[in-house]
Formats: sequence, structure tokens, C-alpha cells
Amino acid sequence: MKPFHISNESRGPIELVRLGGGLDMHSFPQLESHLKSLFEQGHHRLVLDCRELEYIGSAGLGALIGFAKDARERRGDLKLLNVPPHIYRIIELLGFTKVLQVHHEEAKALASFQPN
Amino acid sequence: MRGRVCGGLGAILSGSVLSFAHGGSLGIVWAVGSIDFMANAKGISVGATADRVYVCVVGRGTFQNSQPLCQYTTEMVNRGFTRFTVDIGQCTAMDSTFLGVLAGIGLRLGQKQAAGGEVSLVNVDSRQRELLTTLGLDRLFVIHPRNGQSADSVIPGEVQLQPLAESDVKPGDKDAAARVMLDAHRNLIQADDRNLPKFENLTDQLTRRVGEPPEPER
Repeated sequence: MKPFHISNESRGPIELVRLGGGLDMHSFPQLESHLKSLFEQGHHRLVLDCRELEYIGSAGLGALIGFAKDARERRGDLKLLNVPPHIYRIIELLGFTKVLQVHHEEAKALASFQPN
Repeated sequence: MRGRVCGGLGAILSGSVLSFAHGGSLGIVWAVGSIDFMANAKGISVGATADRVYVCVVGRGTFQNSQPLCQYTTEMVNRGFTRFTVDIGQCTAMDSTFLGVLAGIGLRLGQKQAAGGEVSLVNVDSRQRELLTTLGLDRLFVIHPRNGQSADSVIPGEVQLQPLAESDVKPGDKDAAARVMLDAHRNLIQADDRNLPKFENLTDQLTRRVGEPPEPER
């Protein structure tokens, strides 16, 4: 499994955050500090591209739910894009699709945000 | 007695808990799933002597294999076992659900720990130790560090380890999977209340998922 890596780029008012490798208990502080930093910069509309994400542990899932909640409290949102099937299965199984919106196309994910 | 490296070729048998005599000691096999010989030894294997349960983890200890582990260890605690040895020398990653299930054994043993009951984690490397300490589980488990780079198993040779199947979750089992994850994270919070902020979003969501009323504000 590749080490966890994270990067982001702007898509207008939305930040596209690319996740890759394994998101486990060791690496999820990296995700936490990256997303917190984006929030502090005023970015509350986030799309997390999970195409290269190989693994996510339960702590990572919990963190995503927490950030989605925080983003909504700031009139933003956090949505998932390109979730690999084995990870989607877990998200769906646990009923987390109710709080984590999942998209398969970047354009649709970006368009799903309410205009300001 | 020198043990063996855990994770050998084994079979998963249909049925429930089977008991058998082996080499003068009582062996107990937890059997899950259909008959399937494992060429790949990755996963969780379990076995027992008369007074101790052994769990060997090869590869990842995760949400997926935590459900059968939880069922097995619960059954063994119910049967009166109070000593558990978990070999994580070949465990490459542990997620919080897996650790929460292990914490659940320690919490269930409770006062029995004073009477010789214990959950021992063996072949623990520095990274795993750090994770256990971060979650406050170093107070719940007896931790035996790994000696050097290689992990020598302490599982006695006469213990017949049998692999647990990973969860093949069917639609009707979805609640069970969420329940195991919820209970595991509640265990982590009970073991150390500093874990509450780390996992409260997850437990809140899982509480809704299993249809329980929301937990009161803490």
C-alpha cells in the first residue's frame, strides 16, 4: 500500500482535494491538518477525489463525517468523488451515504454545490 | 516452548463452534463461512488451549475482519476464558474498529484481570505501541514488545490455529456490521475518554444507523 498523500487545487470557489494511498490511524492526522488548514483559509466547499485512495480505516471515515458536518455548519459541504468500489461498499454498508454525498464525475460533483 | 509463526495453511469450516481434543489439550475452533483452503495466509487466525485463547493477525486488522473476531472472542469470554494472547507481529495495520474489539475483551474481563485474566499483545513494534498509547489502550493490555526486527510467535505448537473468514456482509447483516463498529468505538471511548472527540462523529452516525436514540450530550 502506498503511503497516504494529499494535495489540492482550486476549481473556482471549490477546492478539489486529491487523496491517495492508505488512510489509516497513522495517516489520518495528515488529512485532519490539511482539511483544517483549508477551513482556516475560508475554503468550506470541498470535493475529495478518492481515485487513488487504496484503503480507509474506520477512524478515517469518522474524520470525513466530522469534516462534512463542520463544512455544512459553515455553509459549505464536503463531497466524495471517484470512490473505489471496495471503499464505497463500506461507506454504503455503514449507511454513511446519507451524510457523505458520493459522485462519479468531477463536473457533477462541482455542480452539486449550491450557488453562494 | 518455542512457538511457530502464525498464519499457516488452514481451512474455514461451515458451522458454529466446534470443540476437539488435540495433543492432550482442548482445542476450540471457531468456524465461519464455507469450506475454503487458504493459499494466502493473510487474515486473523484463532485457537485455544484449555486456559488461553490465541489470536494471530497477519496483514491488516480492520473493520472487515473485526466482526468475526468479535463474535469469536465474545463466545470465548462467555465460555469462561479469561486469558487472551494476540500476536500482532505480522499485523501491518490496525484500524480503530479492530482495536475497539480487542479493547472490548479487556473491558469485559474487568475485575477478572485482577484474578489473572489478561489480554496480552505480543510482538508489538514501536509504531503499534505508539498507536496503543495514543488511544490509552496501553493501560488495558499487557504489551510485550517485539524482539528486534523479526517476530517470534509465542503461540504453542499444539494450538491448531484456524482462520476466521472476513465478513462477507449480506444485506441482512448490515446492521450487525454497523453494530460491531459502534460497540468497538464505544469501547475505545470507555477505555479512555480522551477518545471521545476522535470518535464521536462516527459513533453518533452509527447510533443513527442502528436505530438507537441519539446519545445525550457529554
